[in-house]
Amino acid sequence: MGGLMTRSVLLACCAMGASTSSFAATQGSVGATSTGSVSISATVPGRVQISGLTDLNFGTVDPAAAATSTEDVCVWSNTSGKAYQITAAGSGAANAFTLTDGTNTLVYGIQWADSSGQSSGTELTSGTPLGAQVSTATNPTCSSGPTKTASLIVNMSAANLQAAAAGAYTGTLTLVVAPQ
Amino acid sequence: MAPGSAQRSQSARNSRRLTVAGRLGACALLVLASRAAAADQARISALSDVAFGTIASFTSDWVRSQSVCLSAKSPPTNLYRITATGSGAGGSFVLDSGSEKLSYDVQWADSSGQTAGTQLVPNQPLTAQQSSVSSSDPGDCSKGPATTASLIVILRSSALAAASSGTYSGSLTLLVAPE
Repeated sequence: MGGLMTRSVLLACCAMGASTSSFAATQGSVGATSTGSVSISATVPGRVQISGLTDLNFGTVDPAAAATSTEDVCVWSNTSGKAYQITAAGSGAANAFTLTDGTNTLVYGIQWADSSGQSSGTELTSGTPLGAQVSTATNPTCSSGPTKTASLIVNMSAANLQAAAAGAYTGTLTLVVAPQ
Repeated sequence: MAPGSAQRSQSARNSRRLTVAGRLGACALLVLASRAAAADQARISALSDVAFGTIASFTSDWVRSQSVCLSAKSPPTNLYRITATGSGAGGSFVLDSGSEKLSYDVQWADSSGQTAGTQLVPNQPLTAQQSSVSSSDPGDCSKGPATTASLIVILRSSALAAASSGTYSGSLTLLVAPE
């Protein structure tokens, strides 16, 4: 019995050695106890997700003053620093940030902040990533932890409103986030 | 012989019989205990490393199961207990990628080909598992079922969603003993 116990202990030591070096499965031997081990490995790729977006409707806008609409969204990143970059593209020519009434265009601007509840942020340029943003989300859809982690700010300057012909303007804005 | 004397004599004979029987019983128990201590053996083998590869989605659990050879010779039931120890702190079931951690679950079934079993707790034996190997050689699955038990390792979606990106690894040690 003593010999068997000694062998078991030695096997356990071998198993621990394997776990820190070669990471190969070890098989147990027959005895009063028997010890085997396996290595386990998994690769978690860098992933991000943006959610919680809603359509923005400015309603009727008075050209005499600038108009701004903001919304809080969820951006999740699983990189070690929870960092991400965001790129915006409008539906205008060459992805410009413009709305259209079918004939005329209305220029708008986009700002982004990597915290919620903000009314101003970093100005985005169409197609140009804004990096070094950091998420506080703890799961991909913010279903637990912070429910919102970033602010999207859309603004129309008085000058651009005054330059636009009267009409009903629409367009789309596409936001692409990537792990960083 | 007085009646009382006869009764005492009979009682004494019974007592002797009981004593003899008791001694025989004790001897038998000793023999059995001795045989059990000498013969009860177990072996775990046919283990393979568990490689999840790249996790494509965090919305569902990832399960890897393998059938292993667990032979236990502990007559008459061939029961055994199994204790799992991970490479995380205190034997926890945790993989690491350096500074980051990823927890996992371990389940065990005492039949092969299973994808679910009894949840194992680190360092705590799961008892009353039964080996189906009937060979007189407890280490030999070639004479009976090639595999007799299932080891199931699970990465939960919640743990994956909470984990940072990276390559995680660790080891799991399984200790079995006859019961």
